[in-house]
Amino acid sequence: MRLAVLAFVALIGVPLGAAADEPAECGVPAELGQIGVSLPHLATRLHDKDPVTIVAIGGASTAGAAAGSPDLSYPARLRDALAADFPKSTIRVVNKGVPRQSAQQQLERFPSDVIAEDPVLVIWETGTVDAVHDIQIDDFAGALQHGIDELRNRAIDIVLVDMQFSHSTAAMIDFQRYLSTLHRVGELDGIYVFPRFAMMRYWSEQNVFNFDGVAAGERAKLAARVYDCIGRRMARAIRQAIP
Amino acid sequence: MPAPARTRDLRLDFFRGVALVFIFVDHIPENILSYFTLQAVGFYDAAEVFIFISGFTAALVYGQRLVAKGALYATAQIWRRAWQLYVAHVFLFVIFIGEVSYTVMTFNNPMYNEEMRVADFLVHPHIAVIKALLLEFQPTFLDILPLYILMMLIFPAILVSIRRRPLLVVAASFLLYLAVQILGLSVPAYPEGATWYFNPMAWQFLFIAGAVLGQGAARGVALPVLSRALMPVAIVVLLAAMVVRLSWTIAGVWDGFPTLLLKELWPVDKTDLSPIRLVPFLATVVLVAAWVKPDAAFLQTRAARPLVRAGAQSLEVFCLGIVLSALGHFILAEYASGLAMQVAVNVVGIGAMLLTARMLDWYKAMDRAPAPRPAMVTRPGRGDEAPL
Repeated sequence: MRLAVLAFVALIGVPLGAAADEPAECGVPAELGQIGVSLPHLATRLHDKDPVTIVAIGGASTAGAAAGSPDLSYPARLRDALAADFPKSTIRVVNKGVPRQSAQQQLERFPSDVIAEDPVLVIWETGTVDAVHDIQIDDFAGALQHGIDELRNRAIDIVLVDMQFSHSTAAMIDFQRYLSTLHRVGELDGIYVFPRFAMMRYWSEQNVFNFDGVAAGERAKLAARVYDCIGRRMARAIRQAIP
Repeated sequence: MPAPARTRDLRLDFFRGVALVFIFVDHIPENILSYFTLQAVGFYDAAEVFIFISGFTAALVYGQRLVAKGALYATAQIWRRAWQLYVAHVFLFVIFIGEVSYTVMTFNNPMYNEEMRVADFLVHPHIAVIKALLLEFQPTFLDILPLYILMMLIFPAILVSIRRRPLLVVAASFLLYLAVQILGLSVPAYPEGATWYFNPMAWQFLFIAGAVLGQGAARGVALPVLSRALMPVAIVVLLAAMVVRLSWTIAGVWDGFPTLLLKELWPVDKTDLSPIRLVPFLATVVLVAAWVKPDAAFLQTRAARPLVRAGAQSLEVFCLGIVLSALGHFILAEYASGLAMQVAVNVVGIGAMLLTARMLDWYKAMDRAPAPRPAMVTRPGRGDEAPL
């Protein structure tokens, strides 16, 4: 799905109810919930009721630091949602979130943190640090392509996850080039890019989640709710990609 | 031998004015208007136009001064200009620090605390400030002036040599450009690991190519002969580039529109001025030189005049555009990013740039006009006294 369309959708904000099995606050416009690709290797495993290992590699928002506990991170929430959907497979989601790493630095962790776990699906959350540090677009795109090729050669399915949205950071950092690069790489390689940025912007604009004026003690709870929604949304997307 | 007083080539001012407006528009992320700037249809953008015309104009202006008043005076003038650019750069940097400091103070989102250390430099402000003064620290928006400053610093040497051996200078400049493409040379910046966003070893070629053509134009060298031979090639190159690039732009709006050669060509490197950017740009130069005459009627129209003025006051208008685009970005991100707001930000921003150009134009004209003196102090026989 094209970024411009996503941005537009987030702007006009077609209101849409959440599914019956999830909190209403997780609702997003239908266009943000669609996935255009399949995850063949994961599908085979689930179909055969084999155990499944998913590695979530990314930054601080993958580690789940803001919520206060790894159990509240989106990979943990994703695991719970998937386990409910596919009770016959043992599903393991390994969290390899390390703060403040560029795509290239994450790529360098692949052998130890990703391949060694023998995953069938890798969720790669990336781009934030590249945008913050103004890393050259070529280098960013190159690192992404490297990582994708590496995983593909090993018959591992991939989901990319784009950046988080927040008003104050958006005013300071130009995420746009990195967002569109991430989405374009996904498009060229036929890989699903989970539109976290557009979703979070939608929530922010609809005032579903708003951090302004929230007391320090309450912020971790709010962050946990956002992670919960992200995990559930991602599980839904993955479910759609399993025929 | 002194060059006749030339009338100003309005094409340079006009296209530089257009480039300044485009730079403003393109600097606002997710700006609807950026679908209508150069970068949407060509592989290059307003930065190429700005640097090329700056080289061209520099050769025209300082070439005349060199002829009229000697190399030493011309050098002093060029370095004075470099100094003005440097002061503008520092001014913009201070505004940038203000903006970031403000945002950091009001920053209130735990989801980002860990990774969003944009304000890292505020932890070591002494280093960041020195690195900015040395042109090594180039936050977003503060990357093109360092290139321009560096070009002006070396320009006296370039000016003197292109008067003697223009082809040799272009050849050397192109070899350096090629070396960058092949060997991947880059200039380190701050923080550790960063490089100059506009690699000066690559982008110097555009500036110097502009300067050599400007020098040629000042001497009345028959460029049309050269460009006539190149025209068919230029047309083919430009058309092909436009079709390919436009397909990417349209595909960004409409899902499923075929993207031509995307896999082969993208991403197109701006830092090192990829040949995919350079060649279509040079093709454009050939065609514009052939098709748009210096005395083209449209340059004199009321509609074109604001842009011509903006191009003529380029430094001030450029700086204002940078500040305004940062402000526009901030407003769109902080308050509303709807279509109406986007249009409003563009209209207000471009309007402010054009009005400022007009005001500067008026002010400088008033400055130049001989001041009427009170009768009492008029002493015949005395020449113009310079104001303090």
